[in-house]
Amino acid sequence: MTSVPTPLRVEQVTTLRPRRQMSIYAQQRLWGWLFLSPWLIGFFVFTFVPIVASLIFSFTDFTLTRPDQINFVGLNNWIKLFNDPLALNALRVTFGFALISLPIAIALPVLLASLLNSKYLIGKPFFRLLFYLPYMVPAISSIFIWQAFLNGQTGWLNRLLRLIGIAEPPNWLGHEFWIGPAMVLIGVWGVGNAMLITLATLQGVPQELYDAAKVDGAGAVAAFFKITLPMISPVIFYNLILTVIGLLQYFVVPYVLTRGTGNPNGAAYFFNMHLYRTAFLFQDMGYGATMAWFIFIIAIVLTIILFATSRRWVYYAGGE
Amino acid sequence: MSRKVMLVLFLVAAIALVPALSNVKAQSRTVVTWFVGIGTGSQPAQIEVQNRVVEKFNASQNEIELKINIAASFETAYDVLATLIASGDAPDIVGPVGFLGANSFADAWLDLTPYVEKYNYDLKQFPESLVNLYRTEEGLVGIPFAVFPSLIFYNKDLFDEAELPYPPAEFGKPYVLNGEEREWNWDTLADLATELTVDVNGLTPNDPGFDPNQIRQFGFIHQWALMRAELTTFGGHPVYDPEQGKVVIPDYWREKFRWLHDGLWKRHFIPNATYEGSELLQPSAFASGNVAMARVPLWYTCCIGDLKSNWDLAVVPSYKGQYHVPTDADTFRLTKASKNPDAAFKVLMYLLGEAAPELLLTYGGYPARPDLQEAATKLRQEAFPSVTNWSIVPASLAYAASPHHESFFPNFSKGIQRFADFRSQLYGDTGKTMDLEAEINKLEADLQAIVAEALR
Repeated sequence: MTSVPTPLRVEQVTTLRPRRQMSIYAQQRLWGWLFLSPWLIGFFVFTFVPIVASLIFSFTDFTLTRPDQINFVGLNNWIKLFNDPLALNALRVTFGFALISLPIAIALPVLLASLLNSKYLIGKPFFRLLFYLPYMVPAISSIFIWQAFLNGQTGWLNRLLRLIGIAEPPNWLGHEFWIGPAMVLIGVWGVGNAMLITLATLQGVPQELYDAAKVDGAGAVAAFFKITLPMISPVIFYNLILTVIGLLQYFVVPYVLTRGTGNPNGAAYFFNMHLYRTAFLFQDMGYGATMAWFIFIIAIVLTIILFATSRRWVYYAGGE
Repeated sequence: MSRKVMLVLFLVAAIALVPALSNVKAQSRTVVTWFVGIGTGSQPAQIEVQNRVVEKFNASQNEIELKINIAASFETAYDVLATLIASGDAPDIVGPVGFLGANSFADAWLDLTPYVEKYNYDLKQFPESLVNLYRTEEGLVGIPFAVFPSLIFYNKDLFDEAELPYPPAEFGKPYVLNGEEREWNWDTLADLATELTVDVNGLTPNDPGFDPNQIRQFGFIHQWALMRAELTTFGGHPVYDPEQGKVVIPDYWREKFRWLHDGLWKRHFIPNATYEGSELLQPSAFASGNVAMARVPLWYTCCIGDLKSNWDLAVVPSYKGQYHVPTDADTFRLTKASKNPDAAFKVLMYLLGEAAPELLLTYGGYPARPDLQEAATKLRQEAFPSVTNWSIVPASLAYAASPHHESFFPNFSKGIQRFADFRSQLYGDTGKTMDLEAEINKLEADLQAIVAEALR
């Protein structure tokens, strides 16, 4: 006996259709999660968990080599931080350096980009390459090059200064006053990236604005301040945020330059060097984590302040 | 489609299983891990030799699987080892490691006494003074392997050019300076080094018109030195005296500080930090050919290959009639956290025994085992034909300074960092104008606070 298949009724078809659609959606979602999972797992394990762990460590006396002897110490590490003369000095050095370095790091790329954007400049691609090239050199190599360049005895800079009649040029890396400007000079070498981004934005400023300004009788200076700067202000803001965060994380240059000592006289002992020493050389991970969170909080507060003030001076052409 | 998902999951699981399956062979043996990096051992040529040593061991028996873990660099090795210990995955064996590296992981090392007794390991083959270096409150935490006494490396060409006799090659021998026979002590070395220091005009610091800003040749350097090693040339000192409960900078260390300060900033025979970092003294001060004498441990033979001049060895000068030779010593240590200490000790015996000649050669170490010393000297003679005074090396071991310049004190890492900061101040431009006595007192007070922090 054979059974005849019963044809599907209309209501059955309509109830099946959405199920099939949901199923495809679910599968797509599943595949999406599956492809995202390596990144998500990596983020969770290697970023999120350590962030949370470091916050927990900041309330403990955790030491790497004696993980079994961990104790909860409450706010002791935070109290210690505000009474640690080395930490406070390191903070002073960091902010002191930022005060000199920040205006240069913001103004110089704008200046260079404006020069490279000038219609009167010949050989633009060459200069663009020239300014960008140092950014491509690995940091450690460039620091070693600068170390040799700035050496008080045999460095090229001082040889040059002697040639032009300065008999006793500064000992750039050996004197507590000069090591700051020396590090600023090294930083200048790496403005290529910021310059390139600024240049790209400059090239996007509509020519009509300049033409209209010219008709209205505006000179080059007025056009720069009234048109160019407002039009590239989002990029300046972007560079400002990155530079502020970068300065709070400043570590590699002073660490390599001073072989981890931060001398002369602690003038190059930045906050992150103190953090590194505490957490990794002295293995005091609890206090090190506290310092990391402290500098993170400062970075967050400064970023919020900058974003709040940006409403007054950053102009988004496509915005309200 | 769900089958496809299952298939993907199955593949992921299979891939994850591959390493586990490949370990099946190793699991049948006791696995012993050997961590290299917090001393020497991470250079490419050394890695090759160490891998060969591991292969030989694994092929020689079926009981233990030796696995080597070499840190990418010395700079990262401390962090790697600390992380391994923190994650409960501590290696069984660590080394070669000196006291500095080992003391940075104080409390991590296993007392070897029960295993030495169990396997009747012969400690009498070593000088007792060397074995005692490894006896701590925790017990015997190491067995002598490689030793590196400090020596005076001197540049024969620079001595010949200045028409000065070479420094003594025997302990107790005097030195004749300008026709006057003098005890070979640190004052004599300072006078000699001053005569060997020359500026661009060919003047020495004893000549009027000498220009300290344009020196082209220096008389002496404590090369690649730790501050405590420099101080220990005037006598060993433990930094912290637990009986008195305080840190004391002894008078003879204060005198050494003054000696260094004079040499750096008044008599200019020692290169300051700026000169040390200049092109004049590259690739390293003595190897540049522009320094007449350097006190460096024997391991410096690792890196002297490109010195074109003739050089030889002399004994370290005396201080108040006594010789104090800072001596570095490296060995392999077993960790307390080792899950297989018995098997690890068997590997240790192999490293200190059968594998020792090959390892010592690649590490540039002088054997602590007397039966290997003759062969080691012969190898060095072949490598450095200008050197005739190799007999100084074993002779120096009798004058090894004690307490050791890397001996432990509470809050060790922080304490040695404070010494390093002081050295950086002394050798940097700040040294020129520093109030030395006040800074030494500050160093003492800071060290006291550092020790107290650990004892709280």
